[in-house]
Amino acid sequence: MDLENTKAQMRKGILEYCILSVLSRSSCYASDIIKELKEAEVIVVEGTLYPLLTRQKNAGLLSYRWEESQQGPPRKYYELTDAGRTYLTDLDKSWKELVDSVNLIRTR
Amino acid sequence: MKITVSINLGGYSFNIDEDAYAELKNYLKNLELHFAGEESSSEILSDIETRMAELFRSKITSYKQVINIDDVQQAISIMGTPEDISDNDGPSARDKFSAPGYHRMYRDPDHRMIGGVCSGMAAYWDIDPLIVRVIFIALALGGGLGVLVYLILYIVIPEAKTTAQKIEMKGNPVNIHNIKDSVKKEFDSVRKNMKF
Repeated sequence: MDLENTKAQMRKGILEYCILSVLSRSSCYASDIIKELKEAEVIVVEGTLYPLLTRQKNAGLLSYRWEESQQGPPRKYYELTDAGRTYLTDLDKSWKELVDSVNLIRTR
Repeated sequence: MKITVSINLGGYSFNIDEDAYAELKNYLKNLELHFAGEESSSEILSDIETRMAELFRSKITSYKQVINIDDVQQAISIMGTPEDISDNDGPSARDKFSAPGYHRMYRDPDHRMIGGVCSGMAAYWDIDPLIVRVIFIALALGGGLGVLVYLILYIVIPEAKTTAQKIEMKGNPVNIHNIKDSVKKEFDSVRKNMKF
């Protein structure tokens, strides 16, 4: 079995949760989300983020507005919607359950 | 000295070396194919382009005014190749779009001398077109039959116009991977012909 592949699969599963968590603290640009996720080593390549952001936006969990920039074209400024906040609360609960389950198996 | 290309990436203007441009274009094309099945694929691609433009902007200074191939390759490794980004678990996604390997005979417009009949038949059997042409010429000289047969075949065998048809002509499965390779080959040959 390929360790890197398994790790990548684990990361993919939690990526959407992490995106919503970051936005729950404050609204920000995609590049800010990338920075945090990279620092936490949740993503390796940035390209993974964009399809997820778009999907979550299409699902109504996030929204964005265009922010003018002095140096160039406008940029997307993301924020969590109410539906997103509710979804995040459910994910927080699911995450806790998951961690508890795994710990139960690990420490038996 | 190199030729540079002027591009609009994500709304920013860049000067980019010719070879770097080819690499970037190829990468973006691969991404486009990768996201082809997704809803909002153009939005995803646009976001990626914008991000790459941000990466390139940080490279430009008063001492360095042109994006080179190292910059492009570095940006690609930061953004990730389609394989890195794949969130459909690899092989199953690649097979999603592939048809079984139909092997059909087409006239080959890219390698034709007259109508592509001989090159098309040669592609189908995976032999040198020269062999097929020699046979036709021999038939033609020996009583004109070759000319008639050629004309009939020209009318009956369709031309391979799309990339998918060109892949089928060789009997390979039509999937994202093969389409990507074909497009790249075509692009490379056009580039070669454009050199002065």
